Amino acid sequence: MSRLLGVIDAATVMGGLQDLTLNRSVASIPFAGRYRFIDFVLSNMVNSGVSSVAIFPKHQYRSLMDHIGSGKNWDLDRKRDGLFFFPPYFEPNETTSIGSFARLEQHIEFFKRSHQDYVVIANSYVITNVDFEEALAEHLIHDYDITEIQHEGESLEMYVLSKSLLVELIENRRTSQFISVSDVVKQPLHSFNIGSYEHKSYTAIIDSIPAYFKHSMDLLGHAAWSQLFSLDRPIYTKVKDEPPTKYATNAQVSDSMIANGASIEGTVESSIVSRAVKIGKESVVKNCIVMQKSQIGKGCTLEYVILDKDVKVLDGTTLRGTAEKPLVLRKGSIREAAVAK
Amino acid sequence: MVKKKCVAMLLAGGQGSRLHSLTTNIAKPAVPFGGKYRIIDFTLSNCTNSGIDTVGVLTQYQPLVLNSYIGIGSAWDLDRRNGGVTVLPPYTEASGVKWYSGTANAIYQNLNYIEQYNPEYVLILSGDHIYKMDYSKMLDYHIQNDAEATISVIEVPWEEASRFGIMNTNADFEIEEFDEKPDEPKSNLASMGIYIFNWKSLKNYLELDNTNEESSHDFGKDLIPLFLNEGKRLMAYPFEGYWKDVGTVKSLWEANMDLLEENPGLNLFDHSWRIYSRNPNQPPQYLSQTSDVKDSLINEGCIIEGTVRHSVIFQGVQIKEDAIIEESVIMPDAVIGKGAIIRRAIVPEHITVPNDVTIEPEDGSGEIILVTQEMVEKLRKDVTA
Repeated sequence: MSRLLGVIDAATVMGGLQDLTLNRSVASIPFAGRYRFIDFVLSNMVNSGVSSVAIFPKHQYRSLMDHIGSGKNWDLDRKRDGLFFFPPYFEPNETTSIGSFARLEQHIEFFKRSHQDYVVIANSYVITNVDFEEALAEHLIHDYDITEIQHEGESLEMYVLSKSLLVELIENRRTSQFISVSDVVKQPLHSFNIGSYEHKSYTAIIDSIPAYFKHSMDLLGHAAWSQLFSLDRPIYTKVKDEPPTKYATNAQVSDSMIANGASIEGTVESSIVSRAVKIGKESVVKNCIVMQKSQIGKGCTLEYVILDKDVKVLDGTTLRGTAEKPLVLRKGSIREAAVAK
Repeated sequence: MVKKKCVAMLLAGGQGSRLHSLTTNIAKPAVPFGGKYRIIDFTLSNCTNSGIDTVGVLTQYQPLVLNSYIGIGSAWDLDRRNGGVTVLPPYTEASGVKWYSGTANAIYQNLNYIEQYNPEYVLILSGDHIYKMDYSKMLDYHIQNDAEATISVIEVPWEEASRFGIMNTNADFEIEEFDEKPDEPKSNLASMGIYIFNWKSLKNYLELDNTNEESSHDFGKDLIPLFLNEGKRLMAYPFEGYWKDVGTVKSLWEANMDLLEENPGLNLFDHSWRIYSRNPNQPPQYLSQTSDVKDSLINEGCIIEGTVRHSVIFQGVQIKEDAIIEESVIMPDAVIGKGAIIRRAIVPEHITVPNDVTIEPEDGSGEIILVTQEMVEKLRKDVTA
């Protein structure tokens, strides 16, 4: 049984992702055609043998709860250990810094009661396939107090530390003035032994719409795809029971990732198409991200557009953004062809 | 146990020998179908969508894959505190091992299972067919008609009627006679192998049939005639819609091709009647720059670099550059090598087709090729030779 306890700090708010987080938290932003951000870190924990995972959400977490449910899809609906959802108490001036002690303190009993000796604290916006067990091994070999997981020298804001140190930091937060695990690691003046673990495989930190767009497009190359979706370490998500994707006689698809339940009658190039999306005849969808259940009518031209869930683009509509500034169509919106008035 | 109104018994022990190598290691209900399903998914999903939450699945032939596939039934929402799915293999008694010697015998040997729910009705199903059907409507019909048993029937073309069990009925669909594969059919209403019985009479007649040494213990051949001889009221329930027995390589291929029609008889995209299946948890499919896919169904986890026309591709399949797939069914995790050409064929699970080989039936033969491991080995030798 793993000695690691998993903590996912899902309280993050990102101004740069605002268009995608009007009705949802960062953790539940759709990604890669069938996943939500949190699927990656949650699957990483499960694949690392972690059997007890606590999620600390904060804002708009209805969609997150709906997605995670009992944790069944990650095999976390357990009698011993399993999945814990810890909604926040009201705290007006609380930090969103990763591993906020004020937030963790509200549920400190969970840490005291758990039998695991170590904790991995992670965020929800780093997309990667990482083995936390390896990070723990590194942590133990070097006898670090806190190990920061990095990629190419950059912090991923994921940390491994002993549970006793975490509890101590939480309990002493008022005297120490440290506000979070991330804060401790960043502060130069203390006696803790801070180490790092370099995680090598494909990693995406998604903190803005351009980053979201860029990293989504990364998946169209074989290298990122194969590193993220390894058969031995699968990424789990909520099952939707969609049928296979149907390509019509007029379909023309190249360099695209397409999820199940989609129905393609038009042209799709270098795009990501999610579950149950419909793309009509004579439409051209290029360099776009189309989220779940969105519908693109006939004769549309879309380039560099991100369509959130349930968007309808009516027949004959042309919409263009740019690689640097993709156009975002908000969830549930309807776009029609410009009509001369 | 909480009493249940209706318990379903799903006969899934069939070998399906006319599917040849597809059923060497798995039972027919476990054969892959439609790009992501197994045949049994249709019957199990029908149960869930019809509100039937207690299903006994009778297995016998090569049950390993089927047993682990069904598991505790969570894929079909049949993991229930009361009822749910129960796999019922043959078992040993003090007197010895008793294999299921016929469809009726299989139910007879599991009377205890049904008894514990003390149902009013028992629905008998087979796991061999592809169709969507609301069993609750059939049950309403059975109750309204005050029948002892109701058998679902479908009109088949007259020229094919002699291949089926045929029900001869009066104008009100009351069954007067049952003809198993008649040479000269008097009706074209074929039994779909779906029965609803009043539990009390079914139990009586199963016990009676069991004492008859002449009986083959089959529902069609023995039980139904027994009910008729006793003058019991038997109704035919006319079903309209897509229904296909996929018992041969050709019919399995045809049923897959049926899904590719513009408005298929069987709509997999209907969210009000989803077909559930065990999820393979693979990433979305990737179609590369060199890919060219038209008129096809493709499932998750596939990497397509070649050309695909009018085909059904299951999860995790790789189709390499310059490969051409036409009018074919490629089952899970198969790999089609560079430049290989496959026409009118079924490629079973996990088979790797070597580069640059051609697999297709002779022109105009109308045949469908079932690719086998031996065939692939031979082609590989021929290519290297």
